[in-house]
Amino acid sequence: MDPEQVDEFVMGYLKKKGFNSAAKHLQESLHNNNGSTFSSIDYHNDPELNKLIRSFSQSENDPSRYREGYSKLRSWGYNSLDLYKHELVRVMYPVFIHCYMDLVGKGHTQEARSFFNSFRKDHEMVHLRDLQKLGGVLAPSHLQEMEFARSLRQSKINIKICQYSYDLLLQYLHRTESTLMLGIINEHINFQVYSGQPNSASDDIEAVTIVGSFHETADHVNQKEIHWGLLEDSLEDRLEKTGGLLSDSEKGQGESKAGDMDDSKKRSAEIGKQGSSIKKLKKDKAGTATTKVARQETSTVLSSMPRVKPELAMPVMSADVEESILEDLRNRVQLSSIAMPSVSFYTFVNTHNGLNSSSISHDGSLVAGGFSDSSIKVWDMAKIGQAGSCALQDENNQTVGLNGRRNYTLLVGHSGPVYSATFSPPGDYVLSSSADTTIRLWSTKLNANLVCYKGHNHAVWDAQFSPFGHYFASCSHDRTARIWSMDRMQPLRMMAGHLSDVDCVQWHPNCNYIATGSSDKTVRLWDVQTGECVRIFIGHRSMVLSLAMSPDGRYMASGDEDGTIMMWDLSTARCITPLMGHNSCVWTLSYSGEGSLLASGSADCTVKLWDVSSSTKLTKAEEKNGNSNRLRSLRTFPTKSTPVHALRFSRRNLLFAAGAISKPSS
Amino acid sequence: MSIVPKETIEVIAQSIGITNLSPEAALMLAPDVEYRVREIMQEAIKCMRHSKRTTLTASDVDGALNLRNLEPIYGFGSGGPIRFRKAIGHRDLFYTDDREVDFKDVIEAPLPKAPLDTEIVCHWLAIEGVQPAIPENAPLEVIRAPAENQIYQQKDGPLIDIRLPVKHVLSKELQLYFQKIAELTLSKSNPSLFKEALVSLASDSGLHPLVPYFTNFIADEVSRGLNDFLLLFNLMHVVRSLLQNPHIHIEPYLHQLMPSVVTCLVSRKLGNRFADNHWDLRDFTANLVALICKRFGNTYITLQSRLTKTLVNALLDPKKALTQHYGAIQGLAALGHNVVRLLVLSNLEPYLSLLEPELDAEKQKNQMKSYEAWRVYGAILRAAGLCIHDRLKIFPTLPSPSPSFPSKGKGKVISTEPNKRKLGVDSSENRSPHKRLIATDGSDGGPSPMQVDRPTGDANPPQNSVRPSSSEQASDGNAPESRNAKEKDDSKGRAITRKAILDQIWKDDLDSGRLLVKLHQLYGDRILPFIPSTEMSLFL
Repeated sequence: MDPEQVDEFVMGYLKKKGFNSAAKHLQESLHNNNGSTFSSIDYHNDPELNKLIRSFSQSENDPSRYREGYSKLRSWGYNSLDLYKHELVRVMYPVFIHCYMDLVGKGHTQEARSFFNSFRKDHEMVHLRDLQKLGGVLAPSHLQEMEFARSLRQSKINIKICQYSYDLLLQYLHRTESTLMLGIINEHINFQVYSGQPNSASDDIEAVTIVGSFHETADHVNQKEIHWGLLEDSLEDRLEKTGGLLSDSEKGQGESKAGDMDDSKKRSAEIGKQGSSIKKLKKDKAGTATTKVARQETSTVLSSMPRVKPELAMPVMSADVEESILEDLRNRVQLSSIAMPSVSFYTFVNTHNGLNSSSISHDGSLVAGGFSDSSIKVWDMAKIGQAGSCALQDENNQTVGLNGRRNYTLLVGHSGPVYSATFSPPGDYVLSSSADTTIRLWSTKLNANLVCYKGHNHAVWDAQFSPFGHYFASCSHDRTARIWSMDRMQPLRMMAGHLSDVDCVQWHPNCNYIATGSSDKTVRLWDVQTGECVRIFIGHRSMVLSLAMSPDGRYMASGDEDGTIMMWDLSTARCITPLMGHNSCVWTLSYSGEGSLLASGSADCTVKLWDVSSSTKLTKAEEKNGNSNRLRSLRTFPTKSTPVHALRFSRRNLLFAAGAISKPSS
Repeated sequence: MSIVPKETIEVIAQSIGITNLSPEAALMLAPDVEYRVREIMQEAIKCMRHSKRTTLTASDVDGALNLRNLEPIYGFGSGGPIRFRKAIGHRDLFYTDDREVDFKDVIEAPLPKAPLDTEIVCHWLAIEGVQPAIPENAPLEVIRAPAENQIYQQKDGPLIDIRLPVKHVLSKELQLYFQKIAELTLSKSNPSLFKEALVSLASDSGLHPLVPYFTNFIADEVSRGLNDFLLLFNLMHVVRSLLQNPHIHIEPYLHQLMPSVVTCLVSRKLGNRFADNHWDLRDFTANLVALICKRFGNTYITLQSRLTKTLVNALLDPKKALTQHYGAIQGLAALGHNVVRLLVLSNLEPYLSLLEPELDAEKQKNQMKSYEAWRVYGAILRAAGLCIHDRLKIFPTLPSPSPSFPSKGKGKVISTEPNKRKLGVDSSENRSPHKRLIATDGSDGGPSPMQVDRPTGDANPPQNSVRPSSSEQASDGNAPESRNAKEKDDSKGRAITRKAILDQIWKDDLDSGRLLVKLHQLYGDRILPFIPSTEMSLFL
């Protein structure tokens, strides 16, 4: 190549790229050394460099290069050694989407579209939803506007790859001089090269999700310490106390219970004062510590869990409520893979497609439905069971309809579709959230609206009471989750961080954490006291719709739009195992009282029971021999044609399910 | 480029009053329009998910527009999903079905009914992990049993427990097998090969996929071939083989099989030729029915009651042919003594009075009819006799009413010393025929030595087993008659002997005593005058 020509190319390149000062310098030095032997750099004679320069200058703006480069890389990748293929193929996806976005960014809309359509088939299986989003990006401005695209552009994707695959890839890129692909790979992919054999194709789920810059932050966040133990002095504890004494001496039962009750009353009174309650509690604890040791010997699995102190001031529980809960716990049926629960199903009929959500109270006696016509309807199943005997007892006009009697309570107040309606643990309040951005608190005793909580900026998707009532959490389209207490109009905490809608929220049994599931396909765990994100769970491939926390506070289950349920270990933020089986949205999840079974309800009209006890018991062994121990599906209960909207294990371990019957589409 | 062509933009522009939109602007707008539409749809899908639905409706789109602070689209608030129609001649063009409505029709139409109010219905989806078979629950999957062990093997992996109905693909081999069996059953030409086939049906594993085909085949052929005696017999053999096969889970198909089987038992006419020994077929089928009841009676509680109801109905309907009665009696008899006692003996008296004219050779000129009547009589007699025999087995040795049964002891009390009792019964049975015969013979004054020979050899087998002894019947035309006569002698003699010791039994057990007396009244008194005619029929 003519040296003059090279100089020209270099000049052209620099000018085009806007490196004006560099161009000036080059020009100057060219002038200075005109005709001299400055070519000592020898770039004129280096063929590699020549080609490189030529490729830069020649077709800088040619959109077909992307297609060419990518299709070459692709065919090379798919024809490579089987052992390393999956690792190499994994590289294709980021290259693909960045090629596409480069094309869009440069304004080659037409080429971008045809490029996208010709290669999207390769990635649809794993990344369908991302592709659907990206498919709409057609103008450079969209790239800026769309959060997903922006985060992709700004961040690097981590890909784990073994040494040999990495070498292969580099070799290929250098040999074929596909600088364009090399540039994209360098710019957007961060290789984590490890020595040894490549991983098997299936075991790392994280490899297939690309969530922008998440991974580093997630890794960082997940280092934080969390205390997943149960709350000290929980009702279970108290039950063990009485239970232990029961087994000791039948006679002493009455006394001890009375004593216990006094004790708790005193304690709750102290909490009521709030001031130094926690310290006093501590003292109290110290006093009873010796007896507690004795109790724990007789206790079950739950009690062996570590105990943590509540960070929130816990609400006072009235004595009779507490007594009834204790009674329920005492009568709880032990469930296992052999002893299955009974399932009672509440079917909504004549909903006219308007039922948005339903929920069941903790004892199964009340059922609430949130409707798209802004109303909430509450059924008292105990009354319905008694049939029409109490026909005219209600003086309340609301409960009497035109054609005789309505057997539900109609709660009207919202001005938009009601997306959730949940009961407080004793069943005396209903909390509803709506598209009108408000959350409303209703009393089931008065059948009236008590409070309207305003704070969210967009539709509120979900609201959940804490396990002890009083506090509740909400989540919204405005990408935040908020913590409220019943007596304040303003939220107490605001959890921001999700990259898309927060779709569901769930409290940890010890009340110190909440978990949120989002449309950004992650689940996050937040500290209620500080409002910080303490865990990020990455692995879902679509929007997370339901969450459940195991009663021992150690595990969490989350269900998504595709029908996958994932079991997470809270402390490590790792997925223990995905539970496959549903083939449509998992609307609801519920753990049995002692945590041995997980029930899931789905839009595919089934309730499934999963054995989760084996995994929790054998985790240590599992850690040793890898991921061999899988959770299994125990039973599938198909309904006739009713998608399952809500599930609830009562305190006595009876499973309640609810759903609206849908006409099978012909 | 974008899926929204620029013409669309131009049309939209015109529709909102912009006439001078430049083509470049339209070209620039098109991708943006597509992007916005996608954005709205993304939000609409979120709304759909939060409404716990899987079909997108117009209200979801409204919700999405609302989220973006846009005005909703009016005119689509139907609640349900919109029905789209395909434009003819275009692949991707759809339109909403919006018919023109005549104003007059709308006004004249009666007011619509108020929509039904939302309600909750409660039912058990499962009780302790088992789904009860109630109408509220989805029907349980039938073809599940053979896959059971596989399910347990795979339990580790994620799998669906209940299989949805799938189209079974029959392998070539199975198809061929089915064809062969069907051919053999229909052809009747090669009995030895057919026997082999039955053995194979009764023992081969892996035939389960064919069961629905076999049940269909049997049902079809039985309904079609009621005149073809051999075919029916073959079919019943096939049924029995299927029942015997331990690898086949035939229970779900019973409801299809039972009608055919019962048809072969109580049908009016089986086979069209005189020589067809349809009695044989009925006996065989009766045993088959008993086998089914024994095997599946526990799981299908209603099975036996339904069956007996059918049979008793057939029996008590005087319009039904005698052959049908015979089948019904055999069927009931095969079901066991309790059934006989409850259902046959209670109806014995009226039935016998009904049968009486038929039996009388003088009145009934039709030989065939008379023969049939005697067959029926023999069957009912044997059923009753076996029943009473079984009943009496419960008692201790008759001659020595032991002090250990002071109360109205029934089966329960007696089970204390079964061995001893058995022995006693045996010995009494062995002894009683002699006694009996001597008594009867004495009254008849017939040649005693010959007769003594006969009963000692023959009287016992029919007592000990319920076997209808079809082989015996088939072998020789006279045998049935002689056997009938024998049996009559038998029970009559027994009744008479019983009468002698009846007083003792009365003291022991009032219930059985009453039954005995009844039987005695029915048979003892009515049989005696008929003895000559029995002997007459022997020569027919």
